[in-house]
Amino acid sequence: MFTHSIRRRLVIGSAALTAAALALGGCGRSSDTGTGTGSQPTTSVSQGPATGKLTVWAMGTEGENLPKLIDQFKQANPGVDVTVTPIPWDAAHDKFTTAIAAGTPPDAAMVGTTWMGEFADLGALDPTPQGFDNSGFYQGALDTTKVSGTQYGVPWYVETRLVFYRKDLAAKAGFSTPPTDWDGLKAMAKAMKEKAGAKYGINLQPGGDGSWQTVMPFAWSAGANITNDAQKQFTFDTPEMQEGLKYYQSFFTDKLAGTDLPPNQTEAQFVNGQVPMFISGPWMAGSVAKAGGAAIKPNIGVFQIPKNKTATSFVGGSDFVVFKSSKNKDSAWKLVKFLSDAKTQASWFKMSSDLPAVKSAWQDPSIASDPLLPVFGKQLEDAKAPPAIVNWEQVAKAFDTEVEKMAKSGQSPADTAKAIQTKATAIGTGGS
Amino acid sequence: MAVVTESEARAVRRSAPPGRPRRKVSRETVAAWVLVLPFVVLFLAFTAGPVLGSLGMSFTDIKQRDLRTPFSVNGVGFSNYAKALQDETFRKAAFNTAYFVVLGVPLTLIVALGAAVLLDRGVKRFQALFKVGYYLPVVTSIVAIAVIWRFVLSPDNGLVNTVLGWFGIHGPNWLGSTTWAMPSLIAMAVWRNFGSAMIIFLAGLQGIPQSVEEAGQLDGAGSWQRFRYLILPLLRPTVLFTTVTTGIGYLQFFEEPMVMTKGGPLNSTTSVSMYAYQQFGFGNYGLATSMAYILFVVIAVVTFIQFRLLKEK
Repeated sequence: MFTHSIRRRLVIGSAALTAAALALGGCGRSSDTGTGTGSQPTTSVSQGPATGKLTVWAMGTEGENLPKLIDQFKQANPGVDVTVTPIPWDAAHDKFTTAIAAGTPPDAAMVGTTWMGEFADLGALDPTPQGFDNSGFYQGALDTTKVSGTQYGVPWYVETRLVFYRKDLAAKAGFSTPPTDWDGLKAMAKAMKEKAGAKYGINLQPGGDGSWQTVMPFAWSAGANITNDAQKQFTFDTPEMQEGLKYYQSFFTDKLAGTDLPPNQTEAQFVNGQVPMFISGPWMAGSVAKAGGAAIKPNIGVFQIPKNKTATSFVGGSDFVVFKSSKNKDSAWKLVKFLSDAKTQASWFKMSSDLPAVKSAWQDPSIASDPLLPVFGKQLEDAKAPPAIVNWEQVAKAFDTEVEKMAKSGQSPADTAKAIQTKATAIGTGGS
Repeated sequence: MAVVTESEARAVRRSAPPGRPRRKVSRETVAAWVLVLPFVVLFLAFTAGPVLGSLGMSFTDIKQRDLRTPFSVNGVGFSNYAKALQDETFRKAAFNTAYFVVLGVPLTLIVALGAAVLLDRGVKRFQALFKVGYYLPVVTSIVAIAVIWRFVLSPDNGLVNTVLGWFGIHGPNWLGSTTWAMPSLIAMAVWRNFGSAMIIFLAGLQGIPQSVEEAGQLDGAGSWQRFRYLILPLLRPTVLFTTVTTGIGYLQFFEEPMVMTKGGPLNSTTSVSMYAYQQFGFGNYGLATSMAYILFVVIAVVTFIQFRLLKEK
């Protein structure tokens, strides 16, 4: 208990300490704060090979695999010396904000798409110079790089969400082709339960961390938006948002989705047929195959988010940025250009299984011949990310809490929309 | 001789009797300050400074982005405090923390005292072994504990529900239910923490002379009476100490919900420390520090009351 209380005091104390230290470290730098003015700079990347020293940060498995890709870059640019620092995902956000406040970020880095607004607002990111072919990227992914009209960095890899289903059980339930609209999905979930012996038709997250990523596709498909076009005002309390929430809630009220499922059992329940559908990203094909072995592989099917007004899914992934304080920006942008090249992206897929953000890279046989991946490619044509606003993480947390109330304690979709709107407005979009 | 020369005066001063206090004290004082200086500097830089800084922060509108321009923040008086107290989730967190303390502290102390008495009286032979066993959870990493408890409390095939199943009882989804999540965390916290209070109780019990009990025995008091009217009053300082330290620890309730439930379901296990920590994560430093200071004041008041109630007269 001493250790107990002391450790806790240390947590709070060190947070305050870090903040104070950061405040001290930040003294005297006042020139480059604030967001961009909304116009793209006219600078461009120079000709010739990259030179000098570059430091690069990347998270998770990307951080471990990136050096292999950088070797190719070094072959084309012998004068450059690149150091890649891998960072664990859960420490990355703090490490970035600390480095930004202290003025010591790397030259270039991989950045999670939902952090772009925050980092740009901190005045840390260098606007993308001219000469990047933005038409090659998926639109949803490109949107994640834009903060208040200015583009920072480029999309690096993407992921999007589809409905996964058990082909064999679907056949048993009487579905030879996957559904395409809301009613169809509902009917399929029902048939899975009644005819194919499933406990629940579909696994949907009943609120909690990150559940907005599953709810928003339905809301977007019903025509809802998170903010108005200027990204200054939230638009959670609209009939369209309510329609999306209502559809989501109906799976719980009809007992087609459960609120009592233990977390992290999605794969196991998919394999044993208890819950033969769920909505998730491309990595799940691998983890389901791992949980179910060779027998399950031919029975994994995917289909696009069902249609209401549109059939919009969520797009996630990471962007690659250059920091404003870099002393070697020109070479850093050359690296970013190399990383966003279609050929590089195809070979990166083979190293990391990260899906390319550049459309043309999807023609590479390693992706085109996969039984599931082309469906993800098609879904990416209609996929959205939340707007790059500074306070997004905080708004998302409020959203998750209200969705939890809706799924678990029967709060009405109208009240849910209203509560999210009130909370989000109180939090504000942030920034200037 | 009316004129005293320089050298004479110096000679007088030099030969001043050693009992003259002025010079000696000042030399000692200087030495003391020199010796203490490293600590004072470190204390000011790493304890007092940040504490005052964070207190100051709680009266400003500082956000993450202000870290680069610390002079652009504005004083906002007590509005962070008002905002925290009006915040529905903060109030829920305060309720949860109170729930945890009110149930958790007495339970922990009762279990600890019970274990200490059993060890003191009963099992002389394997005392060391039991001490280690009961103390082990205190020194084990909370993350390792979380893995085990998640298995124990798992709704489908967890240990608790399997055992309940033998008696035909269908156990709830412990961590997924708004009713049961908090009691589950309390059970886990009691299990995890009673060992350290037990060690202190044991030391207290062993400090009570054998003769006190013998006197009680001669007067014809039964074992419960001896415990109630002799041992317990003599343990009072120990009880005060464990109540205060356990109380402070439990008021700062953080790790259990952080690793087990992330505050859910429906914020039913969010604690004040955890909510303040979340606000730090969102970059709302002003609001977060004000919450930390509200908690600080509550801890100070609760500790004061405990001292008042339990201190020896």
